[in-house]
Amino acid sequence: MGLELINFVIVSVALLGIGIYGLSVKRNAIRMLFAIEIIINAANLNLVAFGRFIPHSGGQTLALFSISIAAAEVAVGLSLIIVAYRMYQNIDIADFRSLKG
Amino acid sequence: MIELTSTPMILVAILGTIGVILPLINIAKNEGGSNAFYATIAFGALIASIGVVAFKILTDSVLPSALFSEDVLVDDTFGGFFAIALLIVAIFTTVGSYNYMKNKSQPAVYYSLILLSTIGMVLIAYSTDLVMLFVAWELMSIPTYILVGYNKKDPSSNEAALKYFLFGAFASAIIIYGISIAYGLTGSTNISDVIHGFAVLDADMVPLALLSIGLFIAGFGFKMGLVPFHMWLPDAYEGAPPTIAALLAAGTKKAGFAATIRVIVLGTVALNMDWTFALGVIAVMTMTIGNIAAIMQKNLARIFAYSSIGHAGYILIGISIAPFSDIGIQASLFHIFNHAVMKGAAFIAVAGIIIALGTSSLDKIKGLGRRMPITALGLVISLLALAGVPPLNGFWSKLMLFGAALDAGSVVPWAPWLAIAGVLNSALSLAYYAWIIRKMYFEGETEKRVSEPKSVIAVMIFSIIFIVGIGVFPDPIIQFAGTAAPTMSLSASP
Repeated sequence: MGLELINFVIVSVALLGIGIYGLSVKRNAIRMLFAIEIIINAANLNLVAFGRFIPHSGGQTLALFSISIAAAEVAVGLSLIIVAYRMYQNIDIADFRSLKG
Repeated sequence: MIELTSTPMILVAILGTIGVILPLINIAKNEGGSNAFYATIAFGALIASIGVVAFKILTDSVLPSALFSEDVLVDDTFGGFFAIALLIVAIFTTVGSYNYMKNKSQPAVYYSLILLSTIGMVLIAYSTDLVMLFVAWELMSIPTYILVGYNKKDPSSNEAALKYFLFGAFASAIIIYGISIAYGLTGSTNISDVIHGFAVLDADMVPLALLSIGLFIAGFGFKMGLVPFHMWLPDAYEGAPPTIAALLAAGTKKAGFAATIRVIVLGTVALNMDWTFALGVIAVMTMTIGNIAAIMQKNLARIFAYSSIGHAGYILIGISIAPFSDIGIQASLFHIFNHAVMKGAAFIAVAGIIIALGTSSLDKIKGLGRRMPITALGLVISLLALAGVPPLNGFWSKLMLFGAALDAGSVVPWAPWLAIAGVLNSALSLAYYAWIIRKMYFEGETEKRVSEPKSVIAVMIFSIIFIVGIGVFPDPIIQFAGTAAPTMSLSASP
């Protein structure tokens, strides 16, 4: 077998890092949503890879659950972003400042 | 397989059916049907569910607190305890929303989302499998993202929803990442198998297990509002409709604690690590930062948001000393129950103020004691209970928490400092609670009485009876919390 488990894990950790970087640096709501999706997909990659190497343990099923839930989450997130865009003509969350403490 | 007659399945059947049917009725009636009609159906479903849970517990047809199970759900008293607390919160929200939702659009969807979110919260408390926990977590979270942004013409509701969504989705993402690591290390998603797998891990794999637990703490901590994961919380609570803020502060936050106790506490015991100290530090930071920030706020909803951060710190005291004290978890559960009622009542009172006066700014509530006497009385009682004034219920649970921390001092020298920090913070919190009470009763002379929303009055009267009643007779709930609290050892399982 050419691919070892560790290769998948390395890619997954790299994706986690990219996701967290994107979330902490970017201020565009869609980009932040993408960053979150990258983290979820990093987890899915982990699940599928582990499920391949640990037979009969349901990791692939969990990945399916995770993908469908992520889709529901994205639908809600995009709808919130659209409503915000209609109101502000902008999706830069640094510009949303009606709430302050 | 879990039986169809067990409590979680019945709850899913009742709440899920009603939650799905409400929007269908709305469509069948061509967007018709009044707010009162939908509110009554949702209220009936919640009352039926709480009746089922209470009946099951009173007839002893649930397991004693068994934190482990082969199944994905377990019908135990731990879940039942949280189910009762969370259903009370959902009832508060539904009843309080009756007046708030008058003349607002789409009441059917609103109540349906509350019911769906309630199923998620309750299932978290019952779940014994990480997959189930994650699905329930999302079932709880996704409806609340929409509910927070329910006033879609209102910029602050909108902004709150977007911030809450981004942080909430990030929390979910790191929880699923934590689950993937735990699964990779142990080859199972059953919490019991995962914990036992962690206990026998190779030494060079332990850091990964720690990473997994750390990701769980961060993910659950976002919902619980632990410092440093609390940034979104004041904005979300202030911008959300106040009834939904009650659901978030009293409901989803408590579900986060249920998940924490199910996963993290046992995980730390299994890893035999000194994570308790880290949790203790987070507890002290959480309560101190929450209470200090609350002093500087000018808006009731924001004050209560920070105060609920502070209370997350108190609850975490009991969790962090769980391995060293018999009553640590019991005290935490008792405080979780009390805080659910107190904070739910406080936010519903804010909802009443917003319905009647249109604002929750601290300057605008002068003379509230004469303008809205019953709402003001309910708010005062819940504020005093939050501050821990005897003989209200908050006093007993704080006493138990701090007592447990002092008790654990014989094992770990830092535990009494948690109690000291807790007492100092309670004194600090009394300062801003007293400030609100002063504004309501001793300022603003010439105010006339305004009509108070009926449904808010109903919640206030119920919560006053509840808070004072538990304050005078705390024993039943303490014993209930005692039966719900899990034993902190690995030997109690396969």
